[in-house]
Amino acid sequence: MILLEPNSFVLEETLLSRFNSEKQEVVDVTLVDFDNVIYRVQTPNEQRNLLNLSVEMKYFNEVVAYGAEDILRREYGDYLVPAASPQYQITLQFNLDQLPADKAGLAKHVSMLKRNVLASSFIRAFEYWESQQEGAGPLMATHYRDNEAIYVQAQQDRVTVIFSTLFKEEVDRVLGRVFLQEFVDARRQVSIQNAPQVHYSSREPPLEIRHLPGLRQDESVGYVSFVLFPRHFSSAEAREKSISQIQLFRDYLHYHIKCAKAYMHSRMRTRVQEFLKVINRAKPDRTTATSEKRTATGRYFRPQFRQPVSPQPGEGEW
Amino acid sequence: MAKLPPIVIDNGTGYTKMGFAGNTDPQFVIPTVIGLPNQSRYGIASKRGIEDLDFHIGDEAVGNSKTYGLNYPIRHGQIDNWDHMERYWEQSIFKYMRCEPEDHYILLTEPPLNAPENREQMAEIFFESFNVQGLYIAVQAVLALAASWTAKNSQQTLTGTVIDSGDGVTHVIPVAEGYVLGSSIKHIPIAGRDITAFVQQLLRDHGETGIPPEDSLDVARRIKEQYSYTCHDMAKEFAKFDADPVKHFQQFDAVNSINQQTYRVDVGYERFLAPEVFFNPELVSSDFLTPLPEIVDNCIQVSPIDTRRGLYSNIVLSGGSTMFKDFGKRLQRDIKRIVDGRVRKSEELSGGRLQAKPIDVSVVAHKKQRHAVWFGGSIMACTDQFYQFSHTKAEYEEHGPSICRHNRVFESLA
Repeated sequence: MILLEPNSFVLEETLLSRFNSEKQEVVDVTLVDFDNVIYRVQTPNEQRNLLNLSVEMKYFNEVVAYGAEDILRREYGDYLVPAASPQYQITLQFNLDQLPADKAGLAKHVSMLKRNVLASSFIRAFEYWESQQEGAGPLMATHYRDNEAIYVQAQQDRVTVIFSTLFKEEVDRVLGRVFLQEFVDARRQVSIQNAPQVHYSSREPPLEIRHLPGLRQDESVGYVSFVLFPRHFSSAEAREKSISQIQLFRDYLHYHIKCAKAYMHSRMRTRVQEFLKVINRAKPDRTTATSEKRTATGRYFRPQFRQPVSPQPGEGEW
Repeated sequence: MAKLPPIVIDNGTGYTKMGFAGNTDPQFVIPTVIGLPNQSRYGIASKRGIEDLDFHIGDEAVGNSKTYGLNYPIRHGQIDNWDHMERYWEQSIFKYMRCEPEDHYILLTEPPLNAPENREQMAEIFFESFNVQGLYIAVQAVLALAASWTAKNSQQTLTGTVIDSGDGVTHVIPVAEGYVLGSSIKHIPIAGRDITAFVQQLLRDHGETGIPPEDSLDVARRIKEQYSYTCHDMAKEFAKFDADPVKHFQQFDAVNSINQQTYRVDVGYERFLAPEVFFNPELVSSDFLTPLPEIVDNCIQVSPIDTRRGLYSNIVLSGGSTMFKDFGKRLQRDIKRIVDGRVRKSEELSGGRLQAKPIDVSVVAHKKQRHAVWFGGSIMACTDQFYQFSHTKAEYEEHGPSICRHNRVFESLA
């Protein structure tokens, strides 16, 4: 698995098993997605034919400004409940008796909910570019985690996406840096020269967001910026793909840092095994000290360091 | 900010159960198997690209077994191959559970008598590779006891005998106040797999020729799961079946997996013979002949004398092979019979001078038996104490992996 899936597998499976089950049972399941998103699938008030999906998303109020509600209405209009359950931001309700024929498709579609909501600022930026306005568009920030944010800004000829990410560990920061350096090198290959440009800076925020107040400027923070050109978002297909890939970038980066560590651990384990073999080879062989070996002439061979206390009767001639 | 729910992962020999704490059932139950590309024997030095990411776990690995070699990282409950296990966890967390391990506490399980070195390895992987906030490694038997607290007749103690029967092996594990009495653990080489094979043999014996050979095992497994029940007395049950076969024999409609035709299988004696394997092991085995109730009694008798009453009064079932109807009742009756017999004998020997206080034997069955260990973990990870008892990342960095040798539940004793 190189890329992370844009949809939530665990949500899809949970919904699908509910949709497909013949017996309608009361359920209450809490699930988690990347970036502190919490899903709760539950049966409301003992009404067994209904199923509620509530979503807690810290940054929802922020993305509402970028048109997230319109997206929700467009994608999940039939299921959207106007007033979300307390402490949740979004609530969808499904009537299990009136589901469409393609249950798997619905489950998959719903499991893309987080992706679709987070896509709002990207879509807004792409629309700004389409309107062919002069100058740079508004800088749209989504604080998707505590102290970490995505900034999207449309310019006349491109769209810039900037991620800030925190590394809790020094090792992670180093690995992250090496990993991001690979992006720059990999882009030199002919096959992926059309990929968006990636810049990485740790500590110094990029120029686009430097004017913002409250940015962290210490060693633990890293800024990754992507420059998307029209070829990445002019066709609808490319646009959806760019959004899916880029918004998961932070998780992708951290996932690969972990994979890299796992890979190094496995190399370290192999190396330790080899060293152990070498050490074991150096051990004096205990078995020869006790067992007796005969020479070619049929006499017994005994190691020099074994001193007989007294000559045994019958074998004193050597 | 409210804390995100901890992740509970129970890696068993056959299946891995994982999910978020607070739920009643695990979100995923997938085989503990990792499918690696077949040419990986050239050694680790030949890997230069992203080959280490090319693998599948669980059902996907089984589905891709034509092109990927299957590896089972856990043997007999113990993790055998740490490389594979680390990657197994990597994908379970990022693909299946889909969460960032840095944001969560994690509860893992270990078999009884697990070597502390294994626990250290686990801690190293989770703190170093995954940067988890906190880790707690719980003993499976203790979690199974905790899971039984939901049962009606439960006493909510951490003293009891756990009968854990999964697919591969059955253990009888006495636990006294959360401590596993390692020296008294008994193993029985009969479990789900043997029962399925036995049902398959019975079907073959009574001439069910309609079952295609490739479906045979699956049909046997489904018959075992759907139709079996535990009887009071095997001989009487045979007589009952023979007296009125129409009433007791049942029919199972199965679908041929290749040409999709339905066929019918008669289900007869195997209905009560399948669970009977535990009570009369001579049905399937020629070298292991001790019935389960006797093993349980033995196991408690070799435990410290002051724990025995508690162990008898809280015998907890866990695992899929204990799900047969009335299994608990039969077990309770048989153990009670052994215990009462012994008490009577000792009273006789004393010539009537001593009167023993009757020993209470009770077998606790509950609804969450199948994934009892996971469910126990889910309950435990919901409590506030869980965060106190977990080892945190800061402690790991201060003291190293050896912190996991120590369980803080027993703080006052250490």
